[in-house]
Amino acid sequence: MYLIRLYIAGQTPKSLNAVSMIRNFLKSKFPDQSRLEIIDLLKNPELAEMDNVFATPTAVRLRPLPVRRVLGDFSDMQKVLDAFDLNQ
Amino acid sequence: MSDRILVIDDEASVRKAIMLALEDEPVQVDAVENGEAGIEMAGRHKYRMIFLDLKMPGLNGVETLRSLRRIDADLPVYIITAFYGEFLEQLSAAEEEGLNFELLRKPIGGDQIRMIISGVSQGPFSY
Repeated sequence: MYLIRLYIAGQTPKSLNAVSMIRNFLKSKFPDQSRLEIIDLLKNPELAEMDNVFATPTAVRLRPLPVRRVLGDFSDMQKVLDAFDLNQ
Repeated sequence: MSDRILVIDDEASVRKAIMLALEDEPVQVDAVENGEAGIEMAGRHKYRMIFLDLKMPGLNGVETLRSLRRIDADLPVYIITAFYGEFLEQLSAAEEEGLNFELLRKPIGGDQIRMIISGVSQGPFSY
């Protein structure tokens, strides 16, 4: 199981792009074996403490271990895959 | 990509912390203390990204963001704020207007600033 928790700031166009990017990479790399949890910090800011998140967008890979946090520009699929070491 | 970063914050300590964090980085940091000055700077220069305080006297962060978006709709803007509902509620208007912004939690650390700049400039930063 590949589990990512994605922290975003509201339903802005860039937030929705980040959601779409992560969802697409999970579908392409781990069909039927992945889960994406989305946390909107405008609605639930206290949840940032859960994964020690300090900025949006941040994607936290919870499974497989070790936990890895990725932040920044999620517009390029290849760079997102690189950040998770999945670009082989 | 521009090598300039703009900081808009009424707290001198925050402006200084960001400038210190970036003093060895290949970027030029412009720091101003209110929204009006920030909007003027954004109109005069091309920036890689902007750090914007949410709570300021005069134009607040949301009002400043609205004007910044008329200048550049896609420029990364990180709103500096505590992660508490009473602060973040102010951003719901910006969200409803479809204005892009990201959040950066106060208090800010130098490593965090450098990670964000790397993540915006070179693609996602992992840690």
